[in-house]
Amino acid sequence: MARGLAIAIAVLGALVSTAFGQRPAAASAPRMTSQELAEWIDARFAEQYRQTGLEPAAAVDDATFLRRLFLDLQGRIPTVAQLRDFLADQGSLKRPNYVERLVNADERPDRFARRTAEHQSRVWRRMMVPASAPGAAMAVQLEPWLTRQFAANTPYDEFARKLLLVSLPRPIAGAVPQPPPVSDSDAAAAVFQRAVGAQPENLASAYVRVFLGVRLNCAQCHDHPFTDWKRDDFWGIAAFFSGDGAKPAAPQPPPTIVADSTSGLAFSAKLLWAEKPLEQTPAGKSPRDVLAEWMTSPANPNFAATVVNRTWQYLCGRGLAGSVDDLDRVSPQERQVLDDLAKLFVESGFDLRWLIMGICQSRVYQQPYSNDPANEAEGFTHRPLKTLLPEQVFDSLEQALGLPVAKADNGPRFNGLRDQFVARMNEAAPESPADYKGGIPQALMLMNGQLTADATNLDSSRTLRAVVEAPFLKPEEKIETLYLAALTRKPAPQELEFLLDYYRRQPGEQERKQAFAQMLWGLLNSPEFVLSR
Amino acid sequence: MSARRLRLSVPVRHPAADAAASRFMAPFSRRELFGLGLAGALGVSYSGWLPRLAAAAAGKAAAKQGKSCILLWMNGGPSQTDTFDLKPGHANGGPFKEIATAAPGVRISEHLPGIAQQMNDLAIIRSLSTKEGEHGLATRLMLTGYAAQQAAVRYPSLGSLLAKELGSDESDLPNFISLSPFRMVDAGFLGPNYAPLTVSGASNDPNTRANLALEDLVPPRDRGDAALKDQFDILRFMTRQFDENSSAEAVQAHRASYAKAMRMVETQARKAFELDQEPAELRDAYGRNRFGQGCLLARRLVERGVAFVEVTLAGAPGNVAGWDTHADNFNQVKTLSQTLDPAWATLMKDLRDRGLLSSTLVVWMGEFGRTPKINPNGGRDHFPMAWSVVLGGAGIRGGQAFGASGADGLTPERAVSVASLYATICAALGVDPKKENISPEGRPIGLVDRGGEPIKELLS
Repeated sequence: MARGLAIAIAVLGALVSTAFGQRPAAASAPRMTSQELAEWIDARFAEQYRQTGLEPAAAVDDATFLRRLFLDLQGRIPTVAQLRDFLADQGSLKRPNYVERLVNADERPDRFARRTAEHQSRVWRRMMVPASAPGAAMAVQLEPWLTRQFAANTPYDEFARKLLLVSLPRPIAGAVPQPPPVSDSDAAAAVFQRAVGAQPENLASAYVRVFLGVRLNCAQCHDHPFTDWKRDDFWGIAAFFSGDGAKPAAPQPPPTIVADSTSGLAFSAKLLWAEKPLEQTPAGKSPRDVLAEWMTSPANPNFAATVVNRTWQYLCGRGLAGSVDDLDRVSPQERQVLDDLAKLFVESGFDLRWLIMGICQSRVYQQPYSNDPANEAEGFTHRPLKTLLPEQVFDSLEQALGLPVAKADNGPRFNGLRDQFVARMNEAAPESPADYKGGIPQALMLMNGQLTADATNLDSSRTLRAVVEAPFLKPEEKIETLYLAALTRKPAPQELEFLLDYYRRQPGEQERKQAFAQMLWGLLNSPEFVLSR
Repeated sequence: MSARRLRLSVPVRHPAADAAASRFMAPFSRRELFGLGLAGALGVSYSGWLPRLAAAAAGKAAAKQGKSCILLWMNGGPSQTDTFDLKPGHANGGPFKEIATAAPGVRISEHLPGIAQQMNDLAIIRSLSTKEGEHGLATRLMLTGYAAQQAAVRYPSLGSLLAKELGSDESDLPNFISLSPFRMVDAGFLGPNYAPLTVSGASNDPNTRANLALEDLVPPRDRGDAALKDQFDILRFMTRQFDENSSAEAVQAHRASYAKAMRMVETQARKAFELDQEPAELRDAYGRNRFGQGCLLARRLVERGVAFVEVTLAGAPGNVAGWDTHADNFNQVKTLSQTLDPAWATLMKDLRDRGLLSSTLVVWMGEFGRTPKINPNGGRDHFPMAWSVVLGGAGIRGGQAFGASGADGLTPERAVSVASLYATICAALGVDPKKENISPEGRPIGLVDRGGEPIKELLS
């Protein structure tokens, strides 16, 4: 109750401040709450609707909202019980409250905050190390470290500095590589460097893409054809990664790197957007320190804008502006809203949880999906369908099917079935949220694979048995329960009619029971199961 | 709606990648543009694959023109100097000896004796000349025919292009099947119907891996035919319910994959993947490795009307980097040749024995060649200036080597561009090289990039 009141007051405050169209100066301003951020986002969109004459679409219903929120934050669909509780809640603030709960509440048994951090770590790992990277297979080893950062809500600039400054132990010829010392809890961040390929060239293009949204790698061999990036930009960044990380007591000349061993062409360390190479590295700092300070500074034009854009894409399906990996192609108007949001993010203390909550609490997040990519308004009045990640598909199946999750039961999580399932799905994993790449092998696995076979077997499937054997449920209620478990919604009248008709056509008791198995099979294989509405 | 009208009436103002990336604050007059563009794409590219509701009838396998293409993809970029364009007596030549082949005057590496026997049906191009020396970009270039950076168009791969031209919508099998791919290039703007079925063999089951089986093709044993039919009926109903006629790409892709997967289950893919039906001696002759068995599977697929099959050779026993032989080039190329030679030679014989060689084009290529000069590590580096590709079978005048790379291997004579290679491939298969597809932005994109002309000497 107290929290509800606090949020109500916050909302009021936000309304007042947006009504005057100004934010108070950063220095004296109390920190904006996530609910205020949501209001700010909605005000910006409202301004756009006014200018364009477009109407925002009506917000999604409670069931759709909950499924969306669970998939986006928990990486899985809600249980039937969670859905029923949410639907029964009459509170007017139940949506923003639930957002906060999934992000912050870490009590057992649900450990919502922990699961949100775990899901975030998968999203980030895939974004940081694309499937085409040399060491893509080892990138999963980065997840425990990422999860710790997200669970502790490490400020984003600090998070980035950890990734930039972690040193990759140089291999010593003839020596067996040693695991990082346990005392250094951030040593695991070095997996990122191994996964993208630890040469200065790879590090330069990876860090600049991930943290600054700049695609620099074309400028490795020639000046970039479409943007202003030149070879000295690419090699200027690569030069920062060329040394041994020493921090000499006296200022040093800038590090250099030889780009082409046959011609001996060398470049000096140079920051992006700088006219000239660095004059020197200051006393007591390595070149990498200089790079990290510059990259993560509030003054860097792309640092905060990039993470804001990436977080928007992660939650809403598309970047707020342009391509998340390539801010150079963003129009000035798009850039303006991105920069304004980035500024608020910096003022929040680079608080990722605050940003995620703010976006999820906005009305914009509750836009219905658009089934038409030709609809120009998608991402503006509608959001795209989002393809589930491999782990999201498995974890949602686990939820829908009531698979055993305790170690003692040796369920799919522990007997290797989950790994096998995720590996097959990974062969065709989406590269961006709105991208569905699943092919025939993935379809065949969901149709005929072990998990589905067990799930649709009347003897082995928990969900199915619970539904089929429940004496108090009428057939239509049984169908409804299957829909709630798999799709987090009730069947539409014509769906119920079609399936009841199918059920009634069955000649005997056993066939009628079996009919529910075929229905569940259909639900698990339907596009609605793997595409988030 | 004709392509021409679209081209004239639709100003393309925004590269596709950006258009897909964001809608926020974009000028809304583009709504119409996208409506038109998409209608064009639907009309041109996405027709005819909607799930057929009738239960699978007896499969019609015949390809539109009865032609197929098998691409032997040499991942990493094979050394031309140690395979098809030797430089005996020159410092760049290396230790390999040249041998005579069935074709008078055409000489190749001593480690390709089986191929040498087949040379009357093969033509070497020794003067392919490209401009891309980075693996990923060069792979895109060679597998799409267009430089990746040229524009923000999602170019379809050769397999997708030819699946569309040669394949049948009625086929029980996908028209493009890729065996053990290393780097994927997909259907691009042609959309999910022309995306490859990839047989990855990622399974932990060693038998499945060795046999290149398609996992989960067979429904669980306790599921009868009636149950299967019911499930498919229910799924088709639910798919329609979810988004009837949706043009969201994700929904289309899902629908296309499931339509093809269901059809394969219904027909059991006409037993194409059951390699154990082949005589043991034949399987031995192809080589009991992924590439060898992949070539055998390619023949079985072509026999069943699959328009395009890609078989990747990305490694061999004792070789992990494929053809990317920056170090220890000669041992590595010898090892790879010993896998390549029996597989490819047996494939040529097998296709000929079954009367399929005259309708099947076999293409051997990688993403680029390798430096004629040997580096200090006994390796060869990336070299796109003058390298070799081999064509054989359907439409090709075999028994010859076209073009040359000079005494030192550095200078192409009668240089062949990627576009001309593509034009030649099209012409050999009876496909019009001037043909265009329409991208979703309404832009006509040729099967072959500008300036490509078929090489007449290579065509039969």
